[in-house]
Amino acid sequence: MTRKREFAFLLLIVPALLFYFIFYLYPVISTFAHSFTDWSLLQRSIHFIGLDNYRQLFNDDVVLTGIKNSIVYAVIMTIVQNALAVPLAVALDKNLRSKNVLRMVFFAPAVLSPLVVGFLWSYIMSSLDYGPLNQMLSHLGLGSVNWLGEPKLALYSVILTQVWQWTGWAMVIYLANLQGISKELFEAAHIDGANGWKTFWNITLPLLVPSITINTVLSMIGGLKVFDIIFSMTSGGPGHATESIVTVLLQRAFTDSQLGYASALGVLFSLFVMVVTLLQLRLMKRWEVS
Amino acid sequence: MSMKKAQRPYLLELSLIILAVIVALPIYYLLVTTLKTPEEAAASPLGLPHHWTFGNYAEAWNMMRYPRVFTNNFIITFFSLIGCTLLPCMAAYGFARSRSLIGKLLFVAVIAGLVVPFQIALIPLYKLISTLHLMNTLWAVIIVNISVTIPFNVFLFINFVKSLPLEVEESASIDGSGVIGTFFRIVLPLMQPVVASAAILNSLTFWNDFMGPLLFLQTRDKAVILQEVYRNIGQFSTNWTAFFPMMVLGVAPLLIFYIIMQKYIIKGIAAGSVKG
Amino acid sequence: MKKIVTVFLSLLMLSSLVLSGCGKSDDTGSNKNSEGGSQSEKKVKIRIMGYNKEETRRSYLDYLKEKLPNVDIEFQFVDLKSFENMLRTQLAAGEGPDIFETSGSGAVYANAGYVEDLTDASFTSKYNDTGLMRYQSKVYTIPLQSWFEGIWYNKDIFEKYGLTPPKTWDEWMDIHDKLRQEGIKPQAMGAKSWEPMMKQSMGMLLNEFYSKPENKDFDTAFSDGTKAVSGQWNDAVTKWTETIQKGNITKDMLGVDYDQAQDEFATGKAAMWESGPWAAEALKQKNPNLNMGMFPIPGLTAGTGWLIGGPGSAFAVNKQSKHKDVAMQIMELTATQEAQQALIKDNFGSSFLKGVEVELPSEYADSAAAFKEGHVYAPWITWPFGAIAEDYGKALQEVLTGAKKVDEALQVLDNKAEQQRKSLKGN
Repeated sequence: MTRKREFAFLLLIVPALLFYFIFYLYPVISTFAHSFTDWSLLQRSIHFIGLDNYRQLFNDDVVLTGIKNSIVYAVIMTIVQNALAVPLAVALDKNLRSKNVLRMVFFAPAVLSPLVVGFLWSYIMSSLDYGPLNQMLSHLGLGSVNWLGEPKLALYSVILTQVWQWTGWAMVIYLANLQGISKELFEAAHIDGANGWKTFWNITLPLLVPSITINTVLSMIGGLKVFDIIFSMTSGGPGHATESIVTVLLQRAFTDSQLGYASALGVLFSLFVMVVTLLQLRLMKRWEVS
Repeated sequence: MSMKKAQRPYLLELSLIILAVIVALPIYYLLVTTLKTPEEAAASPLGLPHHWTFGNYAEAWNMMRYPRVFTNNFIITFFSLIGCTLLPCMAAYGFARSRSLIGKLLFVAVIAGLVVPFQIALIPLYKLISTLHLMNTLWAVIIVNISVTIPFNVFLFINFVKSLPLEVEESASIDGSGVIGTFFRIVLPLMQPVVASAAILNSLTFWNDFMGPLLFLQTRDKAVILQEVYRNIGQFSTNWTAFFPMMVLGVAPLLIFYIIMQKYIIKGIAAGSVKG
Repeated sequence: MKKIVTVFLSLLMLSSLVLSGCGKSDDTGSNKNSEGGSQSEKKVKIRIMGYNKEETRRSYLDYLKEKLPNVDIEFQFVDLKSFENMLRTQLAAGEGPDIFETSGSGAVYANAGYVEDLTDASFTSKYNDTGLMRYQSKVYTIPLQSWFEGIWYNKDIFEKYGLTPPKTWDEWMDIHDKLRQEGIKPQAMGAKSWEPMMKQSMGMLLNEFYSKPENKDFDTAFSDGTKAVSGQWNDAVTKWTETIQKGNITKDMLGVDYDQAQDEFATGKAAMWESGPWAAEALKQKNPNLNMGMFPIPGLTAGTGWLIGGPGSAFAVNKQSKHKDVAMQIMELTATQEAQQALIKDNFGSSFLKGVEVELPSEYADSAAAFKEGHVYAPWITWPFGAIAEDYGKALQEVLTGAKKVDEALQVLDNKAEQQRKSLKGN
C-alpha cells in the first residue's frame, strides 16, 4: 500500500522532471562538463586540459571585477530594496484614502521589461544637456552628473534604476504578509501603550520574517545573476567598470570564443551562489527562531 | 488626542504622494515623449507637448505589425503559464509527500537549478531544439520557458503544500481515492492561492522575455513584441519619434492588465506567499 | 548543506563523464538532405543574418526577391551587441543562417569549419582582388559595398566661423579650440560604445604608422604573432591622446549612446561627428536642412588624411546550410551590376565588383583625394581575431577615465591577441 503510494508520488514528479532534465539540466551539465576542456568556437576538436581553465580564472582581472560588481550589486539591491519596501508596505497598510492609487504607482515599474527600462533610463541619465535627470538637477541649481560615464558611479546608477523598478514588487509581498496579520495584535499593543516605533520593532517586523526571507533570498540570487539591465544600459562599460559575472561569462564564451573557459566560470559561479544562498537561508532561520 | 491621531496620516499621505510622483516620473517621461516632435523632446524633456500628435502610434503600430506580434506574445505567455503551473504543482506535491531517498535526491537536483546562470547553456539547448525540429516554432520558447522556471516554482509551491493539513488527504485515501485522484480533486484546488501569486510573477517573466525569442524565433511572422521594438534599436539610425511609441506599445498590455487587476494581485500574493 | 553540495558535485562529475564522450561526435552530413523531397512545391526558405539594418539593404533584398520568386528570403537583423552571441551559438549548434554578414576574411568561422570555401566559386573571380580578403590563401567571404568612416562636419557652422576641413592634425585641433571658444561643442561622440575611440585612434595610426613602408606587413606579422603592438603603436596612440588632453573627448561622452551623439550632430549642437554613410539617411531624416560633408582623419603632416574602412561588410555561406545551392545562387546574383547598385543606393560605398563605376555624392567631396590614394584601411578587420578590437576600445575608455595608460591599453591588446592565436592553433 505505502509502496504503491510512494510510486504514485514519484509518478507525479515525472512530467516536471522530464522537462527539467531534458531542457535545463542536460544543457547545463553538458556545458559544465566542458569546463575541463579547451572547447572553443574557433576549433572543431576538443581536448581535455584538466583544471587549467579554473587556474586561469584567478588571474583574469575582468573576471575579478565582474565578481566584485555582482556582489556589490546584489548586496546593495537586497538591503536598499527591502529597507525601502518594508516601511512603504507598513504605511500603505494604513487606512489612507489614496492607498489603492499609491500601491498601483509603486508597483507599476515592476511590470516593465528590463530591456525597455534599460533604454528608457539611458535616455533619462544621458549626460547630454537634454538628459531629463540632469536638466532637472540644473533647474534645482545642482550641477550635472555623469551618471553612466563615470566609472566609479555607473554601477550605482544602474542599481538606482533597479531599486526604482523592484521596490514596488517587494512592497506588494510585504503588504500581502501584513494583511494576513490579525489587526487585534496591533490594537492590543496600542492599549499596552506601545508607541508606533516600538510596535513596528516588536510586533510588525518579527511577523514579517517569512516574507523578508523570500524577498532577500530571491533578490540576492537575482542580484548575483544580474545581466539584462547591465547589458542594455552600459554593456559593462565604461571600460569594464560595470561588468557583472554573467556579462563577463557571455563575453568570454562568445566574443572570445572560449567556451571551455566560460564554462569553468559558470561552474564556480553556480557553486558560489549556492553557498551564499544556503548561508543566507540558515541565517534567516536563526532569526526566525529567535 | 483624537485630533492628533487624525492628523498624522495626512502628513504621511502627503509624503507618500510626493514619493509616488517621483516614482511615476520616468513612466510619464516615456509616455509624454511619444507625443512630441524630436525637437520638443530635446528642448524640454518633461514639459507637455504643444500639439498632441498621435500619428506616431499609428506608424509604430503598423511598423511593428502589432496584432501579429501581440498574438504571438499572448500564445507564448498563455501556454507557458499553464505548463509552468501544472507541472511544478504536481511535482511539488510529489516531493512534499514522498518519503523515499530518490525523491529527496531528485528534489535537490531540481532546486540546484536555481543558482545556475542559465545563459551559459545556450549552445546545447539550441542544438537540442534544432534536433527536435522545434526551431522557429512558438513551442520552442514555450517549452524552454516551462523548463527554466521549474526550480523556482517548485521552490515556491513546496512550502505551501507542506503547510496543507494531511487529514483531508487521509480521509480521501480511506474513501478509496488514489494519490493521483486525490491530487487533482482535492490538493490542486487548495493550491489556488499560491498558484495565483506564482502566475503573476511568471507571466511577467514570460511576457518580457527577450533572449528566448531572439534565439529561437527567426522569422518575422513568429516574432514577439520586444523583438519588433529591438529591430529599431541599435547602431544604425534610431528614430526617437518612432522608437518611444514602440516602447510604450511594448509595455502597455501588461501595464494596463496590472492596473485593472491590482486589487486581486495583492490578494493573490497575500494568499500565496505568506502561508509559506 | 555539505550533503547537498556533495550530491550536486557528484551529479556533475557523473554526467560530465557520460556526456563528454558525445560532445565530439561529428554530425555533419546526417541531416543535410532531410527536407529534399517537397522542394518543388514549397518555397525554399533562406535566412540571411546581418548587423546592418534591413533598411540599409532594402533595394538589394527587393532585387533578390524579384529575381528569385520561388525563394522566401528572411532577413534577420541582430544588433552588433548580440550578433556574435546569436551567430556563434547557432553555428556551434550546427544550425545557423544560410548566409550571414561578417567583416574581414571570416577567419574565425573558417578555422572552425563553419563556412563554405568560395575560392573557386564562379562569382569570386568577378571581384577585384583588393576586395577579397583571404585566410590561409582561401576566400571565405564575398565583399558587399566598401565600408568607410570619416568625420561628418556641419558645413554651415564651419562656414559661419570661417573654418575649412583640416589638412593636418594640428589644424584639426585648432578647429576644436575655435569652436569651443565660440560656444559650440566641437565633436559629438557616443563613447558609451567602445567603437568610436578605437576608430579615432586608428585614424592616427593609419596616418603615422601604417602609411610608413616599413610597416606595410605589420598586420600579417601581428596576426602570426611575430610582432606585437606594444613598442610599435605607442608613439602614434600617445600622440592621439592629445585630443583627450585638449578636452575634445571628455568623460561625459562615456555616458552617451551612438544615437544620442547622432542627434547632437543632426540638430547642430555639435559641429563634428565620426560615422559613415549609413548615417546619412538618418541625419537627413532628423534634420532635412542639415548641410554636411565628410573629411578624412588628418595626419601630422599635410596630406590627404585617412578614412577608416575597407571591404568591411561581407557575406559568408554556412557550410551546413540545407539549401546551399540556393545560397550560392544568391551570391551569384549579388555579383551583378544591378545588385551592387542596389546595395550602394541604400548605404553608400564603392563596389569591389569589376566594372562597377560609382559616382561619389557631393557630401564626400572632401574625401575624394583620400579615396584616390586608396587611403582607406582598418587594421583589425585583417586580423583573424578582429573581435579583440573591442578589448582595445574598452581599454581606451579606461585611458580616458585615467585608469589606464596608453602602454597598458596596448598590452591588453597584445595579451588578448596571444590568447586568441593559441586558441586558433588549438593548443
